[in-house]
Formats: sequence, structure tokens, C-alpha cells
Amino acid sequence: MSIEIQSIAKQFGSFTALDKVNLKVETGELLALLGPSGCGKTTLLRIIAGLETPDSGQILFHGEDATDTHVRERQVGFVFQHYALFRHMTVFENVAFGLRVRPKHTRPNNTEIKRRVHELLNLVQLDWLADRYPAQLSGGQRQRIALARALAVEPKVLLLDEPFGALDTKVRKELRRWLKRLHEEVHVTSVFVTHDQEEALEVADRVVVMNKGRIEQVGTPEQVYDTPATPFVYQFLGDVNLFHSRVHGGFAQVGEHPVAGDGAVAYVRPHDIELLREPAPQTLAAKIDHVRAIGSIVRLELSLENGDPVEAELSRDAYAGQRYASGERVYIRPRSARVFAEDYAI
Amino acid sequence: MQAVSTTAVRSAATQEAVWVRWLLLTGALLFLGFFLVLPLVSIFAEALRKGWALYWEALKEPDALSALQLTLTVTLISVPINLVFGVAAAWAIAKFDFKGKSLLITLIDLPFSVSPVVAGLIYVLIFGAQGWLGPWLQAHDIKIIFAVPGIVLATMFVTFPFIARELIPLMEAQGTEEEQAAMVLGASGWQTFWKITLPNIKWGLLYGVILCNARAMGEFGAVSVVSGHIRGMTNTTPLHVEILYNEYNFVASFACASILALLALVTLVAKTWVEWQTERQMAAERAAVYES
Repeated sequence: MSIEIQSIAKQFGSFTALDKVNLKVETGELLALLGPSGCGKTTLLRIIAGLETPDSGQILFHGEDATDTHVRERQVGFVFQHYALFRHMTVFENVAFGLRVRPKHTRPNNTEIKRRVHELLNLVQLDWLADRYPAQLSGGQRQRIALARALAVEPKVLLLDEPFGALDTKVRKELRRWLKRLHEEVHVTSVFVTHDQEEALEVADRVVVMNKGRIEQVGTPEQVYDTPATPFVYQFLGDVNLFHSRVHGGFAQVGEHPVAGDGAVAYVRPHDIELLREPAPQTLAAKIDHVRAIGSIVRLELSLENGDPVEAELSRDAYAGQRYASGERVYIRPRSARVFAEDYAI
Repeated sequence: MQAVSTTAVRSAATQEAVWVRWLLLTGALLFLGFFLVLPLVSIFAEALRKGWALYWEALKEPDALSALQLTLTVTLISVPINLVFGVAAAWAIAKFDFKGKSLLITLIDLPFSVSPVVAGLIYVLIFGAQGWLGPWLQAHDIKIIFAVPGIVLATMFVTFPFIARELIPLMEAQGTEEEQAAMVLGASGWQTFWKITLPNIKWGLLYGVILCNARAMGEFGAVSVVSGHIRGMTNTTPLHVEILYNEYNFVASFACASILALLALVTLVAKTWVEWQTERQMAAERAAVYES
């Protein structure tokens, strides 16, 4: 089922959570709402679910206006950030809840409920936990049970609020892949909220980058990472070096992008910075302050002549060929850069 | 077992000198003994001073029996009503945001801050013969003041905060996420209340009911104002105790008091049991978390 969001606005007191947001979620896709805390992503998700009412604008489910449809009748599955499992019920009863509260004429009988619940518990690979209570589960297990519970009512849309936020790094990575696989299996239209760019880029079919109640860019993970539409998107998706044309003279002219005049800023990712031992045209002199090997990459912290810091990243192999040492003087130039006008609102 | 070993390990470095500990402990115990245990023992001692036969006689006396019956009736009416309204008020305050919420919280606390005598007088002013509704009630032959309805009203007023006060912090701590989850899954408001909210607050609720019950049985001030002290009619046990005492009928007075004291002791045991149950449940949950 597709979801259309038409100029949805929401105000909390004097704080604008959403500023006339428009978005279309295609049937069957896995969409990420990505942004810093307070950008309005969770509010948007809760408005889609019906847990929050927008001040203005419309929500269309499959082309039909659902703005005033009660949460109960929206047929959405919602996975809460802290799971909100029913603490006094076993895992089995948690998953069965959505079926048990149905009105009599649509409620499946007990054997059918049992079959469905075990099917779902098998889907999330936790059938052996059916008789446990939520408090007896680990974070990752609770997360998967919450998902099974949400899927039990056969929702048309699955909404997940920071689904991996409360888990440690290793479990998070596992669950990320697992969710991706699950989505390929179930193929229900899904929207999840995250502040973690890696998570959004890895899991989602499309990423919506949000900031201060507005959408900055919508696109596939490659699109938003490789061709960020705004400086905010550039900065939010990974580390970035800023070169102000006024300060660094001709530096912003490097690369294929023309300079937008004085006051332009070039954005260069650390792994797009090239290091040279000899001076060459269109390079900047820099001093290496620190060299840090972090897993598969080597991160170099440099400072320009005016003291501005620059970060560069090399692969282990590239570093092994050059062996830069801290204190060394080098010359840097960007392989690619994106130039935005200075006064662009960030 | 672990708890025992950790207390044993606690070093002298973090403790007061032995004599300080003994002094404080003895002081506390002496105080407790003098102000709590001694009066309690003396109630039973006084009641049984002239032997079991007289004690029994005093309890069997029709006025004493009718006082006890009235006390239980009033409790049985006011506690369930307070249960319903207490849960409703706590639910409204903890789960919803609305204008005047803080005013409602203050109002719930009002019976705690107002003297019970004033509480009784409020009802006399409203329902009494000279009160606002007095003439109308008289015209329709409805008796509230100096009758059972007045006693129930006064008791309800005084005991209202117990259940709501017990539940509000508990429900606020539990938040509304589970209710929202139930709603998204298609549960109606009624289903959500019975299947999610109520099971989550049951121990807190029972605790509130026990406290409310204890106070309802023992209430004196407010009831004294509205009851009219008609023997065998509108006398609750606490009022009956006072009447007997004023008549220098000490054995009978203390015998009736001992019944109230016994009820209080039963309440204490029940309260301790509920606390123990809640703690056990929480400990089980914690242990389970560590296990996994």
C-alpha cells in the first residue's frame, strides 16, 4: 500500500516539528526517515500511524484520505523504540494480542491463533521463547518479538521508530541485515526512523533526509551519499571537510566545479583528499598532526597553514605504500568536491 | 545469599562506631515501644482486664454489634466507589494531557489537607436542615445528615486520595506506550483498560484499597460531625468507642477498640503481604534480566 503525505504540518507550542512536509512512500518499499534528533522524523512516523494528529495537511493510504481514520482502523504495524511489549503477558500472548482483541466475527479460533503466532515466532526465529516474559528477553529478542507482534495483524504498513536505537553495535548490525531480509520476504510497505546514517544507507531502498521539520533530500542511498542536494545532507551523511574560498584562495576552484565567487564553500569527504609529498599546482600545504589506524582505514589529522583542521582517510594499502608520519609536511588536493554558496542555510 | 555476603563484607571503614549504632537503635526502639507497642498492648490489656466473659459480653451487646455492622457497611460502600473514581482520576491524570490537570491533582489532595471536622461540616452545610439543599431534601423526605448516606459521604471524602495517590505515580512511571501499542493492534479503549492497564497496576491498586479500607473503618472526625450519634442507628465503631469511654464503661470501650485494633493489624499483615508480592515479582523480573 502506498502512503502519500501532503503538506503535513505540526507545531508543539512554539516549536515547529513539521513544516508542510510532502512525501510519497511507494508500495512495498523500505523507506528510512533520517535526521538528527528534533528534526521531526518521529513525529512524522507517529502521524502516519495516527498516534499524533497533524495541525494541517493530509495522509493518503492507497489514494484514500486517512487523516481522520482512527489508529485502530488504520491497519498499521508499529514497533516502538523501547518495544512497549506487554510486560505481564508471555511472548506468545504478546504476539496473539492483536488477534484476540478482534471483534468476534473476525476473530480467528484458538487453533488458528496458535498456528499464526507460531508461524510468526518462527519467522523471527524465536519460537523457543514463546512461554517467556518480556523481562526475561535480551534487547535483540525483544525487538524481534515487537516486530512479530506488529506483523500479527497483517498490517498494510509497517512503521518502526528507531528500531535498533537501544541495542549494542554488534546486535544492531545483525538485526539490520535480518530486517532487510525479512522485508524481502514479507514485502510490506515499511518506514523506519533513524538518526544513524550508516543504518539508513545500508537497510533502506530510499532515504529521506530531514532537518528542522523539512525534507532536505529524498533518494536512493547512492544518490543521497554521492550527490547530496544541500550542505546539510553532505555534512549529515558522513564526515566532511569545509574549504571556504575566501580563506583558502584558489582552492575551491579545484575539481570540475566552477567557483560561485567569493564566499563559496567546497565540501570534500575525507576519503576524497589526495596527499602529495611534492608541491603541485592547485594544492594546499598542510602538516600532519596525527596518524590513527582505525580498522580497515587510516585516518590522518592535518592542519593547514592558517591552522584550520583537515581530515583525510586512506585505505590500509594506500597508507602502507606511503607511510606518512606525524609532523610531516604534505600537499593536499581533492579528488572531487561539491561547492555550495556560503550563505546556504545549514 | 549474595545480599547476606555483601552486608557481611561491609568494612568498619564505612560504619559508625559500635556505641553510636547501639545508641541510635535503642533510641528508635524505645520510642517505637513507648508510642506504638505500649498503647496497642494496653488496649487489649484493658479490654481483657475483667476477664474474657465481660469482654465477650461487651462485644455481643446490640449497640456494639450494630456499630460494627454500620462500620462494615459504610466501608463496603465507600471503598468500591473510591476504587472506581480513584482509578478513573489516576487514569485521566497519568495518561492524558488536558487543561486544569494540576488543579485536579490539587483537588485530589484536598481531603488530606482539610481537617476531617471541616469535611463533615461541609456536608452539614450542604445537606443539613439549615443547609442549601436541606429544605428540598426535607420536602422529599430524604435523610442524608444524621443518617447512613451522610456517613458514607463523609467517609468517601476523607478516604478519596488513598487510591488515586497510590496509582498516579505508578501509572506515570509506566507511561502510555503499552496502551498505544494495544491501540495500534486494534484494541478498543475498554479492552486496553482491562487487558493492559489494569494488570499493570494491580498490586499498586490493591495496596491503595487496603490503605483506603483501613482509613474508612477508623474514620472519626468527619463521621462524628454528620452522624448525630444515635445509638444503634448512626454510630460507627469509632464513635461507639468514644461514647462508652465517656460513660466510664472502660472494659466495653476498650473491647470495641480492640476490634478496630485487630482490623488494623489484619490490614497491616495484608499490606505487608502485598508489598512482599510486589517485591518478589520485581526481583523475579530483575533476576530474569541478569540471567539472559
